[in-house]
Amino acid sequence: MTRPSIALSRRTFLKGAGAALALPWLEAMLPQRLAAASTNPHPIRLAALFMPNGVREDQWTPTGQGSKFALSPILKPLEAFKNDILVPTNLWNQGSDYGDGHYVKTSGFLTCTTINKSLGYDLNSNGISMDQIAARSIAQKTPLPSLELAIDPVTIGVDTNVGYTRVYGSHIAWNKPTRPLAREINPRLVFERLFRINNPSSTNTISDSLLLDRVLADAKQLRRRVGASDKARIDDYLESVRALERRIEQTSQSGGPSWSPRGEISPESKPERRPDEHPERVRLMLDMIALAFQTDSTRVCTFMFGNAVSNTNFSFLEGVKGGHHSLSHHERKEENLTQYQRIGQWHIEQYSYLLNKLKNFKEGESTVLDNSMILFGSGLRDGNKHSPHNLPLVLAGRAGGRINTGQHLVYDKDTPLSNLYCSILDAFGASVERFADSTGKLKGILS
Amino acid sequence: MKSTATTSPQIITNRSRLACPSLDSLCGIVVILAVLAPDLTASSREIPKSNPKKPTEYREVEFIKRYCLECHSGKNPKASLDLSRFDSIERIVSEALLWDKILIQIVEGDMPPEEADIPALDERSNFLNWVESSLQKAACQSGPHPGPAVLRRLNRAEYSASVRDLLDIHFDAGEALPADGSGGEGFDNATETLFISPIHAEKYMDAARVAIEYAFADTRSLRRFLVAEPDEKTPPEVAARRVIEAFLPRAFRRSIRESEILEYLALFHAAYEADPSFTVAIRLTLQTVLVSPKFLFIAEEPNFDVKPHKVTDHELASRLSYFLWGSLPDDALLEAANEGNLSDPTILQEQFKRMLGKQNSRKVRDFSQNFVEQWLGTRALGREFKPDKSIRGYDSELEGGMKYEPVFFFNEILTKNGSLLDLIKADYTYANRRLARHYRIKGEFREQPKRVELTDENRRGGLLSMAAVLAVSSYPHRTSPVLRGKWILETILGDPPPPPPPNVPELQESESGVSSESLRERLELHRQDTACAQCHDRIDPLGFGLENYGVLGRWRDKYEGHPVDARGALPDGTTFSGPAELKLALLGRKDQFVRHLTKKMLGYALGRGLTYYDYCAVNSIVDKLRANDYRSHNLLFGIIQSVPFRFKAGIAPDEAEHATTLNQDESIHD
Repeated sequence: MTRPSIALSRRTFLKGAGAALALPWLEAMLPQRLAAASTNPHPIRLAALFMPNGVREDQWTPTGQGSKFALSPILKPLEAFKNDILVPTNLWNQGSDYGDGHYVKTSGFLTCTTINKSLGYDLNSNGISMDQIAARSIAQKTPLPSLELAIDPVTIGVDTNVGYTRVYGSHIAWNKPTRPLAREINPRLVFERLFRINNPSSTNTISDSLLLDRVLADAKQLRRRVGASDKARIDDYLESVRALERRIEQTSQSGGPSWSPRGEISPESKPERRPDEHPERVRLMLDMIALAFQTDSTRVCTFMFGNAVSNTNFSFLEGVKGGHHSLSHHERKEENLTQYQRIGQWHIEQYSYLLNKLKNFKEGESTVLDNSMILFGSGLRDGNKHSPHNLPLVLAGRAGGRINTGQHLVYDKDTPLSNLYCSILDAFGASVERFADSTGKLKGILS
Repeated sequence: MKSTATTSPQIITNRSRLACPSLDSLCGIVVILAVLAPDLTASSREIPKSNPKKPTEYREVEFIKRYCLECHSGKNPKASLDLSRFDSIERIVSEALLWDKILIQIVEGDMPPEEADIPALDERSNFLNWVESSLQKAACQSGPHPGPAVLRRLNRAEYSASVRDLLDIHFDAGEALPADGSGGEGFDNATETLFISPIHAEKYMDAARVAIEYAFADTRSLRRFLVAEPDEKTPPEVAARRVIEAFLPRAFRRSIRESEILEYLALFHAAYEADPSFTVAIRLTLQTVLVSPKFLFIAEEPNFDVKPHKVTDHELASRLSYFLWGSLPDDALLEAANEGNLSDPTILQEQFKRMLGKQNSRKVRDFSQNFVEQWLGTRALGREFKPDKSIRGYDSELEGGMKYEPVFFFNEILTKNGSLLDLIKADYTYANRRLARHYRIKGEFREQPKRVELTDENRRGGLLSMAAVLAVSSYPHRTSPVLRGKWILETILGDPPPPPPPNVPELQESESGVSSESLRERLELHRQDTACAQCHDRIDPLGFGLENYGVLGRWRDKYEGHPVDARGALPDGTTFSGPAELKLALLGRKDQFVRHLTKKMLGYALGRGLTYYDYCAVNSIVDKLRANDYRSHNLLFGIIQSVPFRFKAGIAPDEAEHATTLNQDESIHD
């Protein structure tokens, strides 16, 4: 018997994926060049960690500028990484200024666009998130183009007060303006997925490709029958099936794999199902990011500490009583501010935990952290004001030497956040001419 | 909805938007242009002459003059929107699409803008009601306007239930799938928010493998779908054909073409050649069915006519089963569809009764749970909402009791054709051992909830005094009259308050040590600010009616040392004191409540947000309910008989044409 062809026409796929990009205003966001001629032999990774509800603003900004700066109380847990981080001050996200206090600030965090006010029908972020631009530029190099992780399930319902579906508040990664990417919230499932990718079974390849061929053919039959607007839904499924097909091809031993893991995954490190306690859940998810980056299963990841308006109860922290969102509406009362600050600091501690893990993974002379960019941030500054001016942001890792870390950079008031994303994409090797409302790259970041 | 703004003046709800083909982002721009340049939409229509005005009409036209024309008239009207031509209801109705967009802006408080002259709340809601009901009336008189043919993937719960019933396994095959968000009327079966991410195919493939493995390990389950096996008289491909012939129609929920049988048989052959084991090959074949979009998507045949068409009997079977069961049609439904008489009113009624019958009680309860938890927001219990450690007595058994109380209660009303008004006020409920103790109800209880007659109706009975509802409308560590008032307005009366003006911080009422007394005072102080009072005059007094309940719904006569003051008022001024009177006051608004519930249920049944056209169905169902003591079957069967449930709209001619072009283009790929 002949081995069934796994490489069906990719035209449909390209068509599906390309359709959203055919719009001229998005074209400028396509990477100009792939991986710049670089002496760095290691892959560059990019992660964006999103924290809901903002920060206590008077305790966030470091004092001093340039390389001579002192960390603020909230950023204190990063002391050991002072030379690995970069704190940009005065960036804002203009696109998210319009609209309500939370949904816009979440869905628009990485797109820098204004989302449609919608309960579903014309749900649209009007952009592609920065991480997905990066993912697209290296899509063929790793088994997973990107990894989307979160702690909370998609928040249920639609918010009839403000006219937004809560889908918006539960997503930061968009690979089409009309498609937020589903997130995985169970660390055990993430682990199993990574494990399988890193230890593919060659015996299943034939049956998998038989199955996928039939599924693709069925999808095409269905696609022919439906009206034009519904074709897009089938295209999304086709795209999803083809991505899987490509990965099986990529990792299968028989065909000679075009990708191999950079590290080993021990089956013993499998996390428990899904712990009840918030801190454990967060730690396990951060472990998964580290594992994915270490093995090179993916180079792009987004993670949400919580969904928009998350009212996660932080009373596990000493001196804190109540939910995150409630406390973020502090009314400038010291009693609330202290707790709000503690919660912000806790998030930085978790961030520091991830940085530490990545720094402990050696990669030749360098470390995985050296070859990464790990962004931490929130879509609004002060939870009491819901304002996207002077956003709290930290970028860690040198991107293989492209980023000048160890600095606090104070920019002109209201410098576009998208300029930071332009710099990040450049350092990633996915340079764009323009990203959303960007006006150029940030000064002083790229070496 | 598939129509575009430029070709079809689709009227849409004040809570939803025009749909766009999801790939075509330009559509959004077209809609905006249509709003900004209303002449585009009006140009082809004849503007009727204005008749002499009725008094109400005069008042509402004055509203436009007073609050809109300052900016929206003259040479350079704001947003290029000139409203000066709207001096009668006929003119407004003639540009329904535009007015729908305008209504949303007014409803959501975006217009008139803060700095302008702002109408009083009453004035505003009178105007909104007048325009909305006029648009609806006009829509209902213009013939049936169903939604388009359905094309959506199964959501996670539907996937699990469908696999369960298809393979007859007791196993949650969809557990590892990504959770679905909500859209439209607020449910996770809404077409518009059932996205497909790159991760889905992989997840479906894993889930199918695990489910089939599970099913093959269970002989009882095997009997359900492995209807033939090879033996001396039966070669493997003959057995395979029998299995496929029996399995495909159930999985795809329709009759199967011979070509489709052959396609799956070819797959079986290929697998059998690679590894000559019947079991291995048939397993792969069935696994493939579960990953096929023909199984994963509810895909109705599009209607390329301009007129609405009835859905086919098989499509009706699926609409019925995903509505009342959240799962695929069973053999009896498929058989009725095969015989082509499911749409016969008598047969339909019989099937409806059978579907709600005892033998299907589990599936109906799934439906009750899916609907109730999303309508009431009680799905948040144990997820988005977890009480603070300081709130004592919360454990998993109590959480279970709380969670299932509204589900079992609602389920009884549905299956026994009970009165929907019981949802407001009832003399029975469902409790497990832990919840009964929580409520101080005496008697024998177990871990499983059971029905209990209530002896003290002043404290319990109806949704408003259920622990789950009271908890999800509280902060984790204290109760909030504001949140509870908002919950009643939104969930029971379907009249959500507009959002607070931007940059106004929420009233902090969440610190500890604030007594109920002083909270009331603080809220009253808050309402002295007219900007706050506009909405909080409606919200807060409602919530105070539930002050007798703690965070977990436990009864309290005193709160923080003071006797509870549970006096309050409805937005129309009706005063009450305590939950029993609050319920009576709400029963005074029963039509508003039933109308809201009908909208919610119709949105759930259709799996999409409603349009004004759908409100014609809502109105006639509400009429029927009113005439029949609000018996629940009038709601369910009313929906099943309604135009939007029974019909599918034609595809706009330009889109049909587009589809054909693409089809020709696509054929070269096969």
